[in-house]
Amino acid sequence: MDRKEILAGLIEVLRTIRTVDPAKLENVTEETDFMTDMNTPSTELINIAAKVEQKFDVEFEDEDIDELGSKVKDVIDLIIKAKARTEEERGN
Amino acid sequence: MVTGRKVAVVGMGGSFPDCADINEFDQKIFSGQSLIREWSKAAERDKQIRSKVAGYINDNDLGIEPIYLVEGYDWPETFIDTRGRIPDINLSTADLGCVWAMNGALDSIEMAGWTKEETQSEMTGVVVASGGGGNVIMRNAWHAFFELGKKSRQAGSHMVDRAMSYREAANISCLIKNRGVCESIISACATGLGNIGYAYRLIKFGLQDRAIAGGVEGTSLETFIGFDAMQVLSKGFAPAESSRPFDIKRNGFVCSFGAGIVALEEYEMAKARGANILAVIDEYFNNSDGDGDMFYPSYNGQIRMWKGLSANAHIKPDVVKVHGTATPVGDILELISVVDTLGEEGYHVSAPKSQFGHMLGAAGSVEFIVALLMLKNQQVPGCLNSDTLNPELENFQKKEGWQGSMKPAAAYRHLIPQETISKEINQVVCLNYGFGGTNSAMAISRDI
Repeated sequence: MDRKEILAGLIEVLRTIRTVDPAKLENVTEETDFMTDMNTPSTELINIAAKVEQKFDVEFEDEDIDELGSKVKDVIDLIIKAKARTEEERGN
Repeated sequence: MVTGRKVAVVGMGGSFPDCADINEFDQKIFSGQSLIREWSKAAERDKQIRSKVAGYINDNDLGIEPIYLVEGYDWPETFIDTRGRIPDINLSTADLGCVWAMNGALDSIEMAGWTKEETQSEMTGVVVASGGGGNVIMRNAWHAFFELGKKSRQAGSHMVDRAMSYREAANISCLIKNRGVCESIISACATGLGNIGYAYRLIKFGLQDRAIAGGVEGTSLETFIGFDAMQVLSKGFAPAESSRPFDIKRNGFVCSFGAGIVALEEYEMAKARGANILAVIDEYFNNSDGDGDMFYPSYNGQIRMWKGLSANAHIKPDVVKVHGTATPVGDILELISVVDTLGEEGYHVSAPKSQFGHMLGAAGSVEFIVALLMLKNQQVPGCLNSDTLNPELENFQKKEGWQGSMKPAAAYRHLIPQETISKEINQVVCLNYGFGGTNSAMAISRDI
């Protein structure tokens, strides 16, 4: 799964967050900032993380979440990291 | 004695089973229709659940569209308001009952004609609650945490605000942005009337000038099966015949869901701005049985309640809107406490649960709205299915120490109309009781 596919999946998740303005999802790039560009309420960030875990079948470490940046690329990085760790654990 | 200020009811709204809005509710109630239907969510459980009928509102009724994150999960992630009245940020903190509560608040404020300044004043309060917990919201937490062993965040960051006990008041307050009181009064099936009663006292004693008040019971299979487990739900009748207050064949109540919200205002202020006054609240009184029994109704507790209601107010109702759940014990004991207080003539008894079942935390407020409609229409809706009243004494009347009437229920047939009747109605007394032995009574009058 490349970064482009992950971004597309992430936007799908964001479309289910009703407090994110759908118009702002038209031009999302890796540099888009959840807080400053999309005005995402802070309570929704944890929901985005939880939904991303479901969507991509991964589980983030609590420390990863604590240190997570607010840009789209930070989430993509985290998904790739978590996916690699999951595959390692599963012995692939 | 502190007399306090007069309080008017100036707005109402709600969500009712099988009704698009309050106008359809009004029309159906006073034309004698039943709002009770077979509930597929109960029926599909076959032998797991005894009762199969309810007065229910689906997740996607009333312009509300639920969003399911995961296909096949029976709990919505959030809702869309297709009518565009409630912003997404408010919907994200709401369970279904909160959506109904917010809609009812908006309808009540619109009917009241409050300005934005009045609504957002420090003297405007919100006092609304539901009887049950946020069961449907908790499903996701149970599933993710206990069954799947996931981290707590899989329960979502809105589990607290969408499931906490005073979620309806909190959601209404965040929507209408009032600056006064925001609280919930929770007293089982007396919750709906209890919140209106508390709001009335806030205004009466000068702490607030206005209040949005009422009760809610959001659709929840968990709530339903709780009562089904107690074997207190109606069983074995066609849906419209399931709720049978006073009838000799009654075997339990119909578990229902809905919301009733009203707008209250200090009387002189409402008058001065030319508001349409739906009713004036004459008095509110509540007490407890004090007999240590969680469930069984108390004749003495109810007689004391009537005395309390009458202590500082002129109580001569044209209609007594009873709690009348259609459980075997409650109805006749309540009827006798009414008769022993008011006598055997000069008023009628109305049991709206015969038409829509028992809305639990919403019962008191939705039935209060029926009482407001009685004043407006000058009609008493009939008690459906009260076909035959017991010609024999009830068991509790035969017990040693019984102090009430020694006549059977059938002696009071003339008090309980079976079809809608028209008559002059100047005062209605509303009664509701709840587990824990709590009794509540409110008298309202036409503004003449």
